[in-house]
Amino acid sequence: MSYRSSLAGQIPLLTLLLLCAATALLTERFLSPLNLTNILVQSSIMAVIAMGMTFVIVGGGFDLSVGSTAALAGCVASMVMLDAGIAAGVIVGVFAGALVGVANGLIIAFLSVNPFITTLGTMVLVRGIVFLITGGAPVSGETGLPGAFVAFGSDRLFGVHYLVWIPALLLALLSFVLHATPYGRRVYATGGGREAAYLSGVRVRRVIASTYVWCGALAGVAGVMLAARLQSGQPTAGEFYELTAIAAVVLGGAALQGGEGTLYKSVIGVLIMIVLGNALNLLNVDSYWQRVAVGAVIIAAAAAERLRSRY
Amino acid sequence: MSLPALRAEGIAKHFDATLALDSVDFDVRPGEIHALVGENGAGKSTLIRILGGALRPDRGSIHVAGRLAHFASPHDAIAAGIVTIPQELRLVPALSIAENIALGDLPVRRFGPIAMVDRARMREEARAVLALLDFAPDPGRPVASLSFAERQLVAIARGLRRRCRVFILDEPTAALEKREIERLFCVLARMQVQGTAIIHITHRLDEVIAIADRATVLRDGRVAAVSRRGAFSVSDLVGAMTGGIADTEAPAPARAGAVLLAARLDGATTVELRGGEVIGLAGLLGSGAERMLHRLFGLHEPTVVEVRRRSRRFKHPGDAIAAGIGMVPGERGLGLVLDQSVRDNILLPNLDVVSRNGRLDRKAGDRLVAELMEFVDIRPRRPWLKARALSGGNQQKAILAKWLARAVAVLLLDEPTQGIDVAAKAQIHLLIRHFVERGNAALVKSSELGELAHLCGTVLAVRRDRIVATIDRAAGLDERRLRAEIGG
Repeated sequence: MSYRSSLAGQIPLLTLLLLCAATALLTERFLSPLNLTNILVQSSIMAVIAMGMTFVIVGGGFDLSVGSTAALAGCVASMVMLDAGIAAGVIVGVFAGALVGVANGLIIAFLSVNPFITTLGTMVLVRGIVFLITGGAPVSGETGLPGAFVAFGSDRLFGVHYLVWIPALLLALLSFVLHATPYGRRVYATGGGREAAYLSGVRVRRVIASTYVWCGALAGVAGVMLAARLQSGQPTAGEFYELTAIAAVVLGGAALQGGEGTLYKSVIGVLIMIVLGNALNLLNVDSYWQRVAVGAVIIAAAAAERLRSRY
Repeated sequence: MSLPALRAEGIAKHFDATLALDSVDFDVRPGEIHALVGENGAGKSTLIRILGGALRPDRGSIHVAGRLAHFASPHDAIAAGIVTIPQELRLVPALSIAENIALGDLPVRRFGPIAMVDRARMREEARAVLALLDFAPDPGRPVASLSFAERQLVAIARGLRRRCRVFILDEPTAALEKREIERLFCVLARMQVQGTAIIHITHRLDEVIAIADRATVLRDGRVAAVSRRGAFSVSDLVGAMTGGIADTEAPAPARAGAVLLAARLDGATTVELRGGEVIGLAGLLGSGAERMLHRLFGLHEPTVVEVRRRSRRFKHPGDAIAAGIGMVPGERGLGLVLDQSVRDNILLPNLDVVSRNGRLDRKAGDRLVAELMEFVDIRPRRPWLKARALSGGNQQKAILAKWLARAVAVLLLDEPTQGIDVAAKAQIHLLIRHFVERGNAALVKSSELGELAHLCGTVLAVRRDRIVATIDRAAGLDERRLRAEIGG
């Protein structure tokens, strides 16, 4: 057994379970089927974004543009869908997200521009493009988006929302990519020691660029899911998603300097964020105080991680 | 007899279950150079980190000039006049040489309540202290633009600037050239006359013989021997350190096989590497020897290299690796992803070997890693241990394992035994010899000329990016000859 499977590696999961247990004791509404379903649906979109963010952070990077990218994908998908059908809309939407990732990846990996600055730039720029192509108004056509697409945003399969199936399937697929393929090991090596990876024959620039493409495409998927849920392409959607996603990945134990992090733990990080918000809501905590609490939890988690790694 | 400047008694320190130091007594007197030797893992670094205030001992006491001292942090130790020059230099690359030297104690000019950094004085002081080391760079240059050896001089200068009672140097000469080492020793001699106590940690036993007044040998966290000048010889020290054998095997006779690799290393001379050969590259710092090694691995710029008589163009290390070349870089942090496991590191250049249909075969990976850890003798045999936790010698073996797993035909080695202990050094020399005996070839760059003379059949002397001489073993290959050729 590896050190990865030691108890210390399960801190995110234990935190989540503890949080759920505490909330369940404080309010019985927490465990109601409606509330639990609600938590899963709320987590689903953020989980997809956090998985993309995990690729980037494990590779030693950072992506602030995911919220804008999700909005772009949602609006583009809605616009195409109204003319050319659902399938075309979804494909073009996700593709638009991947394209933002390609741009980020090329600029960061091949022009060596700092990822923070690059994605801060694309965050603002892409948001501008979204407003330009939509004129600032929601995209839903005169009769609304196609019925099947809207149904996808609220219907269930085997009692679980379609929106929740997507991150579950993606988690299985992407975990394979990141943990069981040579490519995945190269992402970890590049993030953990770029020079050492390069001297071991890893094409580090390509690997770094690829992580942004994953991140952009997954933000695209999240944007399309969001459009289905909101029954329209919203140009203002996805604001602050980047911050929540980064916080979730860090809560999941990833190191911002790269080379560490696990997809399923990032998803647990998302669940921690959403359950915490849900608990504070159920306990009628003032929404201003909620922000204070969430911010404090993020810092506390990161500080705890630092303390743990010191000893 | 004067009071010891620093005296440690009964020092013990545990890390988890490992006993790093087991009641060690150690002292150093004013004006004395006390050498501290021992294999990696013997406890030298732990001891000096305790003396320097970076670690607290579990048991034992420290006296400074006869007075009991408790160091809560390195700051306390510095205040007590104990200055440590660590092996990993703590310099700020983006700041200038002068700022680095003055860091923590900037000269200021006061205008009432406002303090301003006195830049002119800072530069003057930096220039003066660097002049002691015969090093005269522009003090305004950023440290990032200096070579490793030059950075070391800056770190030493920073230590010199402080008033110090005890000066601790952790392997200061590992990366230095002969001339710089001599310069450093002159400075140490001057400090000695002024009454500074010096603790000198080194792997080079000839240095101990040359400059130390006393030597303490640590083995497995205990003092294995203490002896005075005149009473120790290299073989005694090695014996005390290892309690065993050292690298005494004579170099294998060169049985030159087929040409594995040919390239114009300096743009003019074509160098051929044949199976069964170890070729050395000797050159002073900045001579370009290191660059030649890099070029063969596809670093810096695209290079045309003939591999088994077929011309190839290396644009990237991946091309060189695909052609059957492996590289052991000069800094171990470049050879390993330090925060990843030994297993992941060994597998990194071999992911294609251990994957089936795009999927990693865990069992094949485990087998390969176990086989290689056994073969190169990495201790402990724990594949999931982070590479950072290994000693320098074991890290170097892990880097070799990466390439041996691939069955490369040519190894390029940059300072393969720098800063590692005698026993690990002998093991690495043996691994290199066995590697070439299997019909492979190795190109070794080392600043330790004795090592090249010992290991290589042929050595190329490099000066100003040119190969100026080729010295064969048959034509008399020794350290003195090499030094003359490289201009040292």
